[in-house]
Amino acid sequence: MTTEALAPPRKMRSGEVAVLLLLPIALINAIGFILPVLNLARFSFNKVSIGGGIENVFTWENWLGLLADRFYLELIFNSVWISLAITLTTLILSYPIALYLHRSSGPWRTFLTVLVISPLLTSAVVRTYGWIAILIDDGPVVSAIRALGLPAPSLMFNIKGVFIGLTEILMPYMILALMAGFGRLDPRVEEAARTLGATPARTFRKVILPLTLPGIALGCLLCFVLAVSSFITPKLMGGGRVFLLATEIYDQAIVTLNWPLASTLSILVLIVFGAALWAYSAVLRRLD
Amino acid sequence: MPVSQSLEEHLKLDGISISFGPVNVIPSLDLSVRKGEMVAFLGPSGCGKTTTLRMIAGLISPSSGRITVGGRDITRLPIHDRDMGMVFQSYALFPHMDVTRNVQFGLQMRNVSKQDIERRSKEALELVQLGHLAQRKPKELSGGQQQRVALARALVIQPSILLLDEPLSNLDAKLRDEMRLQIRALQQQSGITAVFVTHDQVEALSMCDRVVVMRNGRIEQFGTPTEIYERPATAFVANFVGRTNRLKGKVGSDGQLVAAGQPLRATTKLSPGPVDVLIRPHRIALQPSSGPATTGDGNVVEGKVSSIIFIGDLVQYVVRAGDEEIVVEEATRRERAPLGVGDNVHLRWSADDTLVYPDDGK
Repeated sequence: MTTEALAPPRKMRSGEVAVLLLLPIALINAIGFILPVLNLARFSFNKVSIGGGIENVFTWENWLGLLADRFYLELIFNSVWISLAITLTTLILSYPIALYLHRSSGPWRTFLTVLVISPLLTSAVVRTYGWIAILIDDGPVVSAIRALGLPAPSLMFNIKGVFIGLTEILMPYMILALMAGFGRLDPRVEEAARTLGATPARTFRKVILPLTLPGIALGCLLCFVLAVSSFITPKLMGGGRVFLLATEIYDQAIVTLNWPLASTLSILVLIVFGAALWAYSAVLRRLD
Repeated sequence: MPVSQSLEEHLKLDGISISFGPVNVIPSLDLSVRKGEMVAFLGPSGCGKTTTLRMIAGLISPSSGRITVGGRDITRLPIHDRDMGMVFQSYALFPHMDVTRNVQFGLQMRNVSKQDIERRSKEALELVQLGHLAQRKPKELSGGQQQRVALARALVIQPSILLLDEPLSNLDAKLRDEMRLQIRALQQQSGITAVFVTHDQVEALSMCDRVVVMRNGRIEQFGTPTEIYERPATAFVANFVGRTNRLKGKVGSDGQLVAAGQPLRATTKLSPGPVDVLIRPHRIALQPSSGPATTGDGNVVEGKVSSIIFIGDLVQYVVRAGDEEIVVEEATRRERAPLGVGDNVHLRWSADDTLVYPDDGK
């Protein structure tokens, strides 16, 4: 046996360990995400030839055309606006549920949490069809409104249906994000506010709301991103009459086969996400 | 007794009871706290002391009974109208506000004018010596500093009662001693009526004018620290407050008390039957049995030292006497010839220090 064999193995420094552990995910991310996105960005500068082929050139045509076309400007504006409205509605509907869940305890809390998460066990496609069955013109909701003698609204295959469906589909995500962000909300702090003379309403405004803002910001970011990128629900519940970014990308890529334009729109969605992320971190910085 | 204290009744609990589900946590509780005094609720965990405090604050409602402050019934008053200053074990500072805004919160809720808010919050922070940290956030403060902010926040509103829920439990020993003195000084300066919940007998005895010893939702004894310590009403109080030796004994039909195999004298009135005899370790004097064996009017028991534990300021002797082991504590002194394990000794204590209670079977 040599003395070398007896020497202890060289100790790795923590930095080296971190690099080694992060390497696999970095590789997967590079191959599976970063490269395709770069490829997508490159595609957005290509051109479709008359015959339908893609010309590998570098042109700003897609980008300039997009910004000059009223249809696309409206599409972007509508997508962002509708997604924001859906996010806000989801927040308002989810906040009380999340707060109640945060305060409950024991088996009751577990049961309710499972109840909240259970919609995620069903695919969004199935849930969307469920909403179609509920909201369609001869469905239970419209029939009930009609039975009351009120003018029956058309809830399906228009923006209202998309709005209702997406709100419900996004609620579990919002509730989970809110609950994750409610960590700082200690019931003793609420009690302290109450003993110091704050009414329940003022306790909510001065203590509960500020302390839950991180959760609100997180939930809104998540739901906004999911709403902008949602495709199945607007496609099915919009009945081809609701035009949003995600459905338009699908149409351009699969129907029209205009890949460069689809790529341009996709990169645009990424830019919208970037803006949302920036707004989120700005809110968090303000809170700190 | 401090001068600031009067005999005027301030806080009164009248037949307060509460149940959580099927559990009757507090069957019925009566208590009267005088204006300006500091009363401790002392007891083991689960005795109902914090529950009682929370009922006074309005954080939970009693199932029955009445709570009055200065003659005014507040039993059904909402929390925010009760005018109580509460200090929590976990401090419960508002994490999103700096120290100043924490202290100002209660004043803002009372719609105090802007100048008064500024002035009073400043004074309150000076009072707890934290003026220099006014702009800090709670998480940038140490535990002791956070507790002082909580105290300033509760005192600045000049509440009718200051409620303290184990305020020192999360602090280390040295800081706890300091805060004890500081809280007591602030309470006496402001002449505020205070209720102090604790499971620490030293806190209760050293800080408070009177102590309520609680067990299983009932009051075992309510009295001054001296009364609680010197004349415990029950064996539970004697055991919980201070250290005791507990001997199994018996009172014969002739009224004679026998424990550790010997007849003993006590000043308590005795009825025949099995009893617990309690003696505080430091009230027993220890002498080598070679010395003079005069009885006097006290008790003398013979025994043999079976172990010695040196603690520094104290030395504990464990003495075997009959079937019992009796612990004796003495302050250490240099000049005294030390006793050794196996030495035969005389244990002496007075009849006054012999506490006798009917055997409660526990």
